[in-house]
Amino acid sequence: MKETIYIFNSGRIQRKDNTLFFESEDGTNKFLPVENIKEIFVFGEVDFNKRILEFLTTKEIIVHFFNFYDYYIGSFYPREHYNSGYMILKQALAYEAINKRLKIARCFVEGAAKNSLKILKYYNRRGQNLSSIIEEIESYLQEIECQESIETLMHVEGKIKQSYYGAFKNIINNSDFTFEKRTKKPPKDYLNALISFSNSLIYTYCLSEIYQTHLDPRMGFLHATNFRRFSLNLDIAEIFKPVIGDRTIFAVLNKGIIDSKDFDNNLNGIILKPSGCRKFLEVLQERLNQTIKHSTLKREVSYRRLIRLECYKIEKFLMEYYEYKPFVMDW
Amino acid sequence: MFIILYYDVSEKRCSKMLKKCRAYLQWVQNSVFEGNLTESQLKRLISVLAKIVNEEEGDSLIIYKFESQRYTDRIVVGKDKKSDINFI
Repeated sequence: MKETIYIFNSGRIQRKDNTLFFESEDGTNKFLPVENIKEIFVFGEVDFNKRILEFLTTKEIIVHFFNFYDYYIGSFYPREHYNSGYMILKQALAYEAINKRLKIARCFVEGAAKNSLKILKYYNRRGQNLSSIIEEIESYLQEIECQESIETLMHVEGKIKQSYYGAFKNIINNSDFTFEKRTKKPPKDYLNALISFSNSLIYTYCLSEIYQTHLDPRMGFLHATNFRRFSLNLDIAEIFKPVIGDRTIFAVLNKGIIDSKDFDNNLNGIILKPSGCRKFLEVLQERLNQTIKHSTLKREVSYRRLIRLECYKIEKFLMEYYEYKPFVMDW
Repeated sequence: MFIILYYDVSEKRCSKMLKKCRAYLQWVQNSVFEGNLTESQLKRLISVLAKIVNEEEGDSLIIYKFESQRYTDRIVVGKDKKSDINFI
């Protein structure tokens, strides 16, 4: 299992002795085992040169950059190492054939909704009164199947998300973290800031996993392909936002790992302080490494691995081997 | 799997070993490394290191591998030189 490196310090990363070397501003030096790195997340002010980018390309390491406000600003996406014209063609054809595109897009929405439901039902069993919201989402779930266009499908998705987020205030037992409505760019309250941060991380994890497959991240199915950035990772992330991101949010808040002191609200919106950001990432990384018994593979797989398996399932679907069924938590 | 690697080689080849090991594992002490590798990564590392090790001159390389760290306990007396590299 290759590792993920998160850089918060400012400094310089360079190639040294055929491996990576991080020289931080405070004078601490660290060698990073290049053969065992999957990706690097850069939050600090880090200097790069072309030589290191070349080296990262040969080692197929993807680098994600975040700005001062913890907003995702982009990735160094090394040249594709799994080249497959065949797969790109299949992906494009599936996008063009509206029935096929709808089928796969419905699966993403369905997966997201079913996973959200699993979480709500779990907390419902624990005594939080969520049955009205569960019923609401279940009725929307019926509607997914009969949506005949991407626009109406997205509308249903929006409604599901709205009811789902409405349940957050019941699940989180901390009065600082209330939920009015979803606000972005910039988030207006603590919880929104945390959700935004968590989602942007899930997008990047999905992007890293797509890089390891033959799929092209520029061609999404639910999120339209346009001149924007990558969109397939946004699609796949829908399934994993509740499974990985939201559960981590509940964990850090209910266990009191992150509280209102970890946020900065002197700016226009509210953002996580570097300390809070780091605490969240530590818990998230733990969750990603945690393993579960996979019901069809009959072996232990990590949450991180599940994302890759999802990519493989999409590939299989595009090659017309199997029907695509989204991952749904079965516990 | 979790790996503990240590070597004892002639001074001439010390830095060579150090540089190769650094690319795969995390440095813990002089000539001691730790880290998680896959079976294939370990095979590659061994093949690289085997070329450096010179048996006639008394060099040796020892690798311990563990399926998991579950039944292990790491006891440190004095300064622990292994630092967290996932979060820097």
